[in-house]
Amino acid sequence: MSDLSPETVLRVDDLSIVYRTDRGDVRATNNVSFDLKRGEAMALIGESGSGKTTISLALIRKLPKNAVVTNGHILYQHKNKVQDVLGLSRRQLRGFRWNDCAMVFQGAQNAFNPVLKIRKQFEDTARAHGWTDKDAIRKRALSLLELVRLDPERVYESFPHELSGGMKQRTLLALGVLLNPQVVILDEPTTALDILTQRAIIDVLNDMQRQLLFSIIFISHDLSLAAEMADTVATVYAGEIVEIGGVDDIFYRSLHPYTYGLLTSVPTLDHAQDVLQSIPGSPPNLIAPPSGCKFHPRCSFASDQCQVEGPLLELGRETHLAACWHKDRLLASRKEVV
Amino acid sequence: MAGSPLLEALVSLPLDLLRGLVRFLRRLSTNKPGFVGFLGLLLYFFATFIMPGSVEFDNEPKLDQITGPIGSRIQLAVHRDNPQWDSLEALAGRTVGVVDQTGGPSFIEPYKEQFTVETYRWTSRRQGPGILAALTDLANQEIDALLIFSKTVSQVIDKQEDEELRGRFQDHILISNPSLGQPHLLGTDTQGRDIASHMVHGGQILILTALIGGVIGTLIALFFGSLSALVGGFIDKFFTALANLFLAIPQFILLVVLAGTIRFDSTLYLGVIIGFLIWPALLRAIRAQVLSLRERDFVEAARSLGLSMNHIIFREILPNMSSYVLINLIFSITIAMYFQIGLVVLGLAPISDYTWGVMIYFGRSRGTLYNQDGATMALAPVLAIALFQVCLVLFARAVEEVFDPRLRSAA
Amino acid sequence: MLNDQQPLATNRQLPATNMSLMAAQLYDSLLKIYRNYTVRVFLQAIITIWAVMTLTFVLVRLMPGNPVDVLVEQILTNEGISYQEAYERVAASFNIDSDATPLDQYFQWLGDLLRLDLGISITSPGTKVIDEIARFLPWTVFAVGSGLLISFVLGIFAGMPMAYYRGSKLDHILSFFSSFSTGVPNYIWGLLIIIVPGIAWRWFDIGALRGTYDAGLTPGLNAEFILSALEHAALPVFTYVIAILGTWMLSMKSSTTGVLNEDYVNVAEARGLKERTVISSYVGRNAALPLFTQLTISIGFVLSSGVVVEEIFVYWGIGHHLFQSITVRDYTSLQGVVLLLTAAIVFSNLFADLTYGLLDPRVRVSGEK
Repeated sequence: MSDLSPETVLRVDDLSIVYRTDRGDVRATNNVSFDLKRGEAMALIGESGSGKTTISLALIRKLPKNAVVTNGHILYQHKNKVQDVLGLSRRQLRGFRWNDCAMVFQGAQNAFNPVLKIRKQFEDTARAHGWTDKDAIRKRALSLLELVRLDPERVYESFPHELSGGMKQRTLLALGVLLNPQVVILDEPTTALDILTQRAIIDVLNDMQRQLLFSIIFISHDLSLAAEMADTVATVYAGEIVEIGGVDDIFYRSLHPYTYGLLTSVPTLDHAQDVLQSIPGSPPNLIAPPSGCKFHPRCSFASDQCQVEGPLLELGRETHLAACWHKDRLLASRKEVV
Repeated sequence: MAGSPLLEALVSLPLDLLRGLVRFLRRLSTNKPGFVGFLGLLLYFFATFIMPGSVEFDNEPKLDQITGPIGSRIQLAVHRDNPQWDSLEALAGRTVGVVDQTGGPSFIEPYKEQFTVETYRWTSRRQGPGILAALTDLANQEIDALLIFSKTVSQVIDKQEDEELRGRFQDHILISNPSLGQPHLLGTDTQGRDIASHMVHGGQILILTALIGGVIGTLIALFFGSLSALVGGFIDKFFTALANLFLAIPQFILLVVLAGTIRFDSTLYLGVIIGFLIWPALLRAIRAQVLSLRERDFVEAARSLGLSMNHIIFREILPNMSSYVLINLIFSITIAMYFQIGLVVLGLAPISDYTWGVMIYFGRSRGTLYNQDGATMALAPVLAIALFQVCLVLFARAVEEVFDPRLRSAA
Repeated sequence: MLNDQQPLATNRQLPATNMSLMAAQLYDSLLKIYRNYTVRVFLQAIITIWAVMTLTFVLVRLMPGNPVDVLVEQILTNEGISYQEAYERVAASFNIDSDATPLDQYFQWLGDLLRLDLGISITSPGTKVIDEIARFLPWTVFAVGSGLLISFVLGIFAGMPMAYYRGSKLDHILSFFSSFSTGVPNYIWGLLIIIVPGIAWRWFDIGALRGTYDAGLTPGLNAEFILSALEHAALPVFTYVIAILGTWMLSMKSSTTGVLNEDYVNVAEARGLKERTVISSYVGRNAALPLFTQLTISIGFVLSSGVVVEEIFVYWGIGHHLFQSITVRDYTSLQGVVLLLTAAIVFSNLFADLTYGLLDPRVRVSGEK
């Protein structure tokens, strides 16, 4: 457990999570592993229902009641102290949440208690983590609200319904970093917003990360956002990380047909495409997933081997890992296109 | 053959109904309390609509059996010297003691002229000096007979701590009266009539009245509520305002005042009046439901397909409201029940039909309610009404949970 | 440009930018709606009361077989005085100026009502109806009010765990109880309380608990009187509590269930707030909000549903008074009580409409629910 390098802030190690349902066990996360470095921004991309949100919820142990972690560890390192998030007591967990790892949920529209002023909700949060000085809280909150480019005094004394959607999202971002967490999880931070507000939020995020130096785990199916924000990108399919690597590696030299499919199904400004293709078929049933490589029924590269044997996440090139038997064929075919 | 579609319909309709019923029961059985409620209602139906055919209404006053506790009889205590005084007739011209907090006084009322009546108060909790005084007087032959509940009297005598007194009672007092009738399941009322038979016969009219009230109220609300929601405009405004105006008048009070001034002559007629009183709240609920259904996608789709209003109302909206209407109907039946029995208990409704409500009314007005040994006369109907209402509510809740699509999708 | 300050929806100090101008207009129109809303609910309340008063006037005076004629008839047969004399006497009780036209009578009667002059009791001549009401009403308000408040608080505390542990044994037991509580009429609860603990177990002497306080005590702020009043009110209050509790439990359960699914509760937990804080100021506060409206609305209804309960316990409140007035056909008292209870319902609705904004900040601005 102590083999964590000093700059690693979070390590997910062989994590598996199952949802117990009436129709059977849903294997939402399978043997997921990754490291998050200090100051790094990692994007988890994938279709809806691929298990991105399950992974992120597990990080703050906010999984639904019917979820069971069947395997793995989540190690968190701060000030040379390593602790397993899954082993925290209720009390420790309460302290860990938001203070060490904050999560900005999707749909900030309803993230604030409608009957409390924003000020009260900032104070609640700070006080729950041992802050007592109201003025200190106020000072910190105002500076953060300023950082997210809001009128601090006015927003601080507002009720949530008096703020617009974009303002609420930014307020939530400010609240997210109130306690100076090491890790901030952003779950679809821009989905419900119009394009201009999205833009503003991204700028704010970039600014904030530069100034406050926290790590980001970023969940999105918006690939352009991921391309812009992330240092590292992990592709999640059927509860598994099928590819992980630096942002340029993933976007320009992807080694997994699924990632490639995602990229070609979205028009991006970064690299123009003539033909938009969607991935055929639909996401697999996680109660009874396909044999072998779970992507094989939808994959144009699939061979007999893929149906029988699931590929492991292996090093493709430098720090770029992918779980595919046909990395080379994919790379070769891409070269023809590009 | 020309007749075959009709024949087919005749065969298939009951089959369809049966299949629907089976499906209904199967879905209902997933909700345990609801199923219990449903079974309870079936039981009530059986007890109040079928059983009266085989159980006779006991309408014959039996003067030797008044308001007894469960399974017991009121009995006569006499001095051992005079065992021949075993009936009221035989006691004519004698002095008869009664304890005023038992059924005795009302029992003896019609005979007051034939006896000299000595009244005792039952003062303390169980064996007050009143009863002791009465027994002592009897033992000393100062009175000739004592009219009281046998069970209690034997207890008073057997548990008497003063040995001398106990001995005197045991030596001189005879409290058995073998010529009395059989014990009754729920005891007897102030006229010695079997309460159990009244229980069997006393529910039918109540339930019918509540049903009439509930159905009329629901029909009015359904018709005008849907009308205002579907037509809108002035009609909608008018009925909403009317419902609000009526809601502002306390409906039960209105009913009480009406009953106090008009005097209804039939219980069923009372149901009609209740039906005309309870519609406003229902109308608002049904109007809201129709409005929300009207905005639903499938209704929109039907409208854009150019289907007629009739089709939309009878094929799209009403079927989707059936469970909602059923729930409202059940709840209005409980309200109608509340209204009518409330009136009866106050003595403002007709008491010509001997219903559970009337039993409570008599239990109160004749004082048996306040008598430890005679309380069954009121307790039995009180429990019957309470459990009936509970069954209705449990059933309605189950229908709400199992069949209301709005709740199902939210769960 | 993109990151320009967006004005708040309610902006008091408005910079003269285009966007702020729109916001200012929005604020003004919202304020107008709010004012209109207040005016609207007030008007509705007044119109309702006026309609009921008029209805009463018509029923009492103009309908064939109305109480005035009936009473005049009665006095005529009993006392053998002239019709004019009998009519004058009845008219005096009802506050009718017998010389005036019906329309004048109507307006005069309305004016009297506005001055809370409800006429004189027919059966106890010389007693003003309003004085009688003032004598009986406080007891009902006391008993019903305590019953309502106690059941409300209990219901909130019982309803929340029902939602938190949905489907558990606790939920099933409490749900079952609430079916009993709501299904069984309040007077049936009253009778059960009298028969079982009162008569069968002799826990209390029901006969001694008649009335609103022990005879012989002088009302006032002395311990003996207050204790006696509490003792006499205990059974009716308990009856109200047990009969209303289920409704609050179920309302609170469904309201809490809804709130538990809200994002802000989830976020509050993720923020590492103390469980106590989440339960009280996030879940509880939001879930209880709609119940306050129900509470204010139900005041009027419960006041009037206590008639039978008061009669059963012989508790001398307004319901008992109403029933007595019916049995002796004291029409002026009857009219007074009905008008008063109607007014209570209308005003409790009005109160609910106007105070909801104080509890829910979202309504403060728009004035809409």
